[in-house]
Amino acid sequence: MANALKIISVLVSYPTADLLDAGPQLHAALNADGVIGEGEKNLLGALIDDLCAHDIYDAEERYVLLFDRTRSLSLHLFEHVHGESRDRGQAMVDLTTMYGAQGFGIDAKELPDYLPLFLEYLSTQSPEEVHNLLGQTLHIISAIRTRLQKRESIYANAFLTLEAIAGAKADAAAVAEILKAPEDDPNDLQALDKIWEEEAVTFGAGAGSNSCGLERLRTRVRAADRSVQQQNH
Amino acid sequence: MSNLLDRLNFLARKNVDTFSDGHGVTTSESRGWEETYRKRWQHDKIVRSTHGVNCTGSCSWKIYVKGGIVTWETQQTDYPRTRPDLPNHEPRGCPRGASYSWYMYSANRVKYPLIRSRLLKLWREARVVRTPVAAWASIVEDPKKRKSYTGVRGHGGFVRARWDEVNEIIAAANAYTVRAHGPDRVVGFSPIPAMSMISYAAGSRYLSLMGGVCLSFYDWYCDLPPASPMTWGEQTDVPESADWYNAGFLMLWGSNVPQTRTPDAHFYTEARYKGAKSVVVSPDYSEATKFADLWLHPKQGTDAALAMAMGHVILREFHLDRQADYFEDYCRRYTDMPMLVQLVKQNGQYVPGRLVRASDFAGDLGEKNNPEWKTVAIDAATKKVVVPQGSVGFRWGDAGKWNLEEKDGKGQDVNLQMSLILDENQDTVAEVAFPYFGNREHDHFEGTDHESVLVRSLPAKQVKLKDGEALVATVFDLFVANYGLDRGVGGANVANSYDENVPYTPAWAEKITGVPADHIITVAREFASNAEKTNGRSMVILGAGLNHWYHMDMSYRGIINLLVMCGCVGQSGGGWSHYVGQEKLRPQTGWQPLAFGLDWARPPRHMNSTSFFYAHTDQWRYETLNVSEILSPTAPEGPWDATLIDYNVRAERMGWLPSAPQLETNPLDIAAMAAKEKKEPKDFVADELKSGSLKMSCEDPDNPANWPRNLFVWRSNLLGSSGKGHEYFLKHLLGTSHGVMGKDLGEEGRQRAKETVWHDDGPEGKLDLLVTLDFRMSTTCVYSDIVLPTATWYEKNDLNTSDMHPFIHPLSSAADPAWESRSDWDIFKGLAKTFSEVAQEVLGVEKDTVLVPILHDTPGEIAQPLDVKDWKTGEIEPIPGKTMPNVVVVERDYPNLYKRFTALGPLMNKIGNGGKGIAWNTEHEVEALGKLNGVVTEEGPTKGMPKIETDIDATEVVLMLAPETNGEVAVKAWEALSKATGREHAHLAIPKEDEKIRFRDIVAQPRKIISSPTWSGIESEKVCYNAGYTNVHELIPWRTLTGRQQLYQDHMWMRAFGEGFCLYRPPIDTKSVNPVIESKPNGNKQVVLNFITPHQKWGIHSTYSENLLMLTLNRGGPVVWICETDAAKAGIVDNDWVEAYNANGALVARAVVSQRIKEGTIYMYHAQEKIVNVPGSETTGNRGGIHNSVTRAITKPTHMIGGYAQQSYGFNYYGTVGSNRDEFVIVRKMEKIDWLERPLAEKVEAAE
Repeated sequence: MANALKIISVLVSYPTADLLDAGPQLHAALNADGVIGEGEKNLLGALIDDLCAHDIYDAEERYVLLFDRTRSLSLHLFEHVHGESRDRGQAMVDLTTMYGAQGFGIDAKELPDYLPLFLEYLSTQSPEEVHNLLGQTLHIISAIRTRLQKRESIYANAFLTLEAIAGAKADAAAVAEILKAPEDDPNDLQALDKIWEEEAVTFGAGAGSNSCGLERLRTRVRAADRSVQQQNH
Repeated sequence: MSNLLDRLNFLARKNVDTFSDGHGVTTSESRGWEETYRKRWQHDKIVRSTHGVNCTGSCSWKIYVKGGIVTWETQQTDYPRTRPDLPNHEPRGCPRGASYSWYMYSANRVKYPLIRSRLLKLWREARVVRTPVAAWASIVEDPKKRKSYTGVRGHGGFVRARWDEVNEIIAAANAYTVRAHGPDRVVGFSPIPAMSMISYAAGSRYLSLMGGVCLSFYDWYCDLPPASPMTWGEQTDVPESADWYNAGFLMLWGSNVPQTRTPDAHFYTEARYKGAKSVVVSPDYSEATKFADLWLHPKQGTDAALAMAMGHVILREFHLDRQADYFEDYCRRYTDMPMLVQLVKQNGQYVPGRLVRASDFAGDLGEKNNPEWKTVAIDAATKKVVVPQGSVGFRWGDAGKWNLEEKDGKGQDVNLQMSLILDENQDTVAEVAFPYFGNREHDHFEGTDHESVLVRSLPAKQVKLKDGEALVATVFDLFVANYGLDRGVGGANVANSYDENVPYTPAWAEKITGVPADHIITVAREFASNAEKTNGRSMVILGAGLNHWYHMDMSYRGIINLLVMCGCVGQSGGGWSHYVGQEKLRPQTGWQPLAFGLDWARPPRHMNSTSFFYAHTDQWRYETLNVSEILSPTAPEGPWDATLIDYNVRAERMGWLPSAPQLETNPLDIAAMAAKEKKEPKDFVADELKSGSLKMSCEDPDNPANWPRNLFVWRSNLLGSSGKGHEYFLKHLLGTSHGVMGKDLGEEGRQRAKETVWHDDGPEGKLDLLVTLDFRMSTTCVYSDIVLPTATWYEKNDLNTSDMHPFIHPLSSAADPAWESRSDWDIFKGLAKTFSEVAQEVLGVEKDTVLVPILHDTPGEIAQPLDVKDWKTGEIEPIPGKTMPNVVVVERDYPNLYKRFTALGPLMNKIGNGGKGIAWNTEHEVEALGKLNGVVTEEGPTKGMPKIETDIDATEVVLMLAPETNGEVAVKAWEALSKATGREHAHLAIPKEDEKIRFRDIVAQPRKIISSPTWSGIESEKVCYNAGYTNVHELIPWRTLTGRQQLYQDHMWMRAFGEGFCLYRPPIDTKSVNPVIESKPNGNKQVVLNFITPHQKWGIHSTYSENLLMLTLNRGGPVVWICETDAAKAGIVDNDWVEAYNANGALVARAVVSQRIKEGTIYMYHAQEKIVNVPGSETTGNRGGIHNSVTRAITKPTHMIGGYAQQSYGFNYYGTVGSNRDEFVIVRKMEKIDWLERPLAEKVEAAE
């Protein structure tokens, strides 16, 4: 299992010449993996083949466009749950603390919530811990997978595999919450237009969750009180 | 028994009770809930920083950091206190700044160096077998390869790259360009140094050491008010916001303080509480209107008419019918009103000519030094013509006489006479012609039917000059006649009553502006009467709403006239508060050596951006404004029949404006060519220009030999924000898809340029390489070839100042730059290092011949005194520095560029430092810097010099050298000024002589700067900073021709374009609507509206505008505002997608239909990004467009004047400006919304 997570971590990292040359090695590792099923192995195998068949520049261009430039596909997990809110900084601090508790420091110029980094960490953890942590991020993974599938991107395979490893179904409401966020999938015109719609103004109790109402404050307090183990909602 | 044992002696029971009649409860429950907050707000350090965005806020913030990660920010509240009875500065900050920490970890952040993959592929292929410079040559010299990446700019295709690799590519491109074309083809654009001055200096130091060109910004943004240099010889100097509190009468005119000066707005509120009266002038019901006792809403663009009518009232009531003593005394001593003007006979009538000079009289009135530059007046006691001290002729060469004491050049006391109206003083009444432009036809602006030439009568005097008898008048008498006031000397076109329809009465102004005459009269009267009672505490805050019009000078001068005639300039609580783009670089003179490499070589190459972009984005090829439309009917004889670019070419070759590139020949080759001819380079250039064998680049901007080749953009969003004529940038400078719809002059068969070569096919894609440094993926990044990730404002060390308050404070590094980003300082330092290695392939120590325009505040500024002579026509010889640009040879040491970059060079010891016309020795500061930063120990050309390795080292250079942050330097600077004025000024700085502000000091707390002669106000415990204060109170002359506030502009070009005196000019007709209005119907009704682009509420320019918090507060994407009536006309309802288009291009946005907007206008807050939620345009087929898609820069000849005292060039001081508010657009509802997210269907075939 650890192996499959490490493979996915590598596959969703920025494509390098090393990666594109490592097809046979990746296939071998995939075959040796004892946890994911045949179906998932086929998915990852197809992703490996696709990457290795690409011209390096095309593979890099594709990656930059998808993951560096499209906000709704960001591989930084907290982009999808915290966005630009102030919770984000504290959430990252908590995550770093968790890595530290297991004896890991971050040795790259990356943020702690970068998915390949997170997966690499998981690849060193016990199956229970993997289930637990992956389970907490499942709604994000599902949401990104949905968006990638909409674009018919083969990168969706990596995310389908992660969902399989988690072995659970993402909370539909939580996924929907993320998918409600501004979609910058440029092929989906209706989704793009939707984000223009303004929330109707309501007064008094139960005002919209984006206002300064009681609901909002409660959410904020809950967010502040959240430890990293319960960080999904 | 006592209750001794029952009583508590030391403890009390916690009270569980109610208070305030049961509204409050005290309980004893656990306070465990506080844990939530403690945990929420945890941090392990707090760092002071600010937001280096172009907003003039300069607010101090606390940045909270935990484990190296920035978690949040709050406002700092530790500014030094103000004096008693003055509100404190804080809280400073706004919602935009409060949402900043998001940027750091945003998905929109540029995380790695990015490069167009096609370029990288070409580079790697070429690099296998070639050295770097040769590799670059093999790409750009092959048109197919070049086009393969330049043609897809803006269409994605980025990949990440390593720093060493992109550095090598950029360095190779720079070295190739310097060798093949010349260093003046490497160009950089970065605005507003004050917001992060070290980051600016990093790039400009790199460019300057190379000989590259720094482009100006203040004029290009159209934030420069040319009226300020014209009147005061000062770029812009304004009161700090605290001084609003001292005002008794405040006018807010075309400025929206609560929205665009958010952290300062509280002073306005406080001034209102204190009882100040307030008038707001704004065509729309803007946010600022809430401050108004009276809201005036003139038709947009007609403000000059309003100001003129107010001037009419004030002159009538306070200068003519009754003379207010304070006003009269002020005007006599501090303005040019008493100076004499020659009346010249032209077509049978008199017109005002130039100011009379000492040299016009026999024996030069005894003045040996610069008599041509000394203006004259009549002494009231002796009735003789005298030469008052203080004019520019005294500034250069008459040490000790350049001051505003009431003395003449011989030291005799004088009392200047303002008017010749009394019978005993006048010889005759002259009929003098004034131009009138208010009758010119415009489809959308109301005019009147007065004659184009208005003849008015005024008192004049006969004097005997060298070449015979002449008629003269005082500026004051002409000034009053120009306002159409009846003086009792008869004649037409003057009014006795405010109700007459004569320019410039209130009744006349009501017709033009729509403002009721009685409102005009009331405001004028109260404004002046407050000033009379308080010695000038009436203030006007004015801004972009006025300055972004083509004829901005008229609105500005109209208002300046009001302030000057009421004695408000230079008085606390009074004066001219121009707040737009003016962010003040307080330690300017300490910063300049660092920024422009003045420690190694002088002068640097500077260029005025408006002329540069006008020529090189080929906007001139589409010019629709004929000079005949703006020329005065009273223009003197002259070669006026030419196009706007011709005027610019003349200005460049006469040394008025700078050039970039400069000559068709590589400037590195000139010195050798001169040596071969055994001539000094100076003489060689002059001779060969005359013979025609050397050519100036400006004469043929479309010739590949004259293209700019490499462009750096940093700290700026040139293409997404400030680039007027956006679509022309895309078409001609970048060579990619564009939305230009108009035809160029060749296709149209209209008037062609005379001095400029025409190519039938305009070039597309002049730039070989566009490099942008940014922390967010801006529109400019999207169009760049290489994008370099910079540190954010919480990840670097830098300095920040503003003119809104007197404090200097830091940006400091709270966390290491995230991902692969680096600070601007480190990026350019790294580039310098690679460049020094790579350049050795083709460059060594070279002699670079630099053309320098005639510069303001140098002895050269008095170059062309009486009239205009162009050497090209043969009427005069080309003399460098006099009738053409100066020619200076500078040594460039390319292999040692990095070493020079990182050490303070020898010229600071050899020549010293200075600014604005004064100079002082800096040996002591250089020595101290060596001790502070350490000296270079490594062998080589920089051994023993102070190090500038880190960004903090760089800040110390600035702080040590600047008078504002080093009291010892301040004293030296004031003493240097005393030599010129003959008066003691050092008392302003002596109490602070021992104060030396260091970087760590301002990290601890923002520090108030020290008074310095660089600025015209003082820092004091008694008054707030106010511009012109030292002119009035220390008698230091303004840096103008007369040495006074100059209300009459006598340069020949000013007279030719009718702007000797202020008057009303309607907006120009840009003719961009009619050619396309019927061209692409979509079936919906259309309405033609005036396109206005104010500053926004939900961003600072483009920054923050794509931030989700701000998008949520606004409507989440581009919007335009229109009024209900116009919306109804075009069948538009709120939130409809609309398109606004004209010949320049098109933009799409949602409509906000609001009663706030005045009929006939459409508002689009400027700089909403193209990168968020913008669909395609129906007319161009391209993505939406930005606010500048429908604009085009149009230059004005009067802004090109040079070599003439205050009208001489200075970087960001004078020059053409990029106005944009005269533009009209066609607006209609869109039929089809297309989000255009198909892969680019490319016309260009990819190269191998």
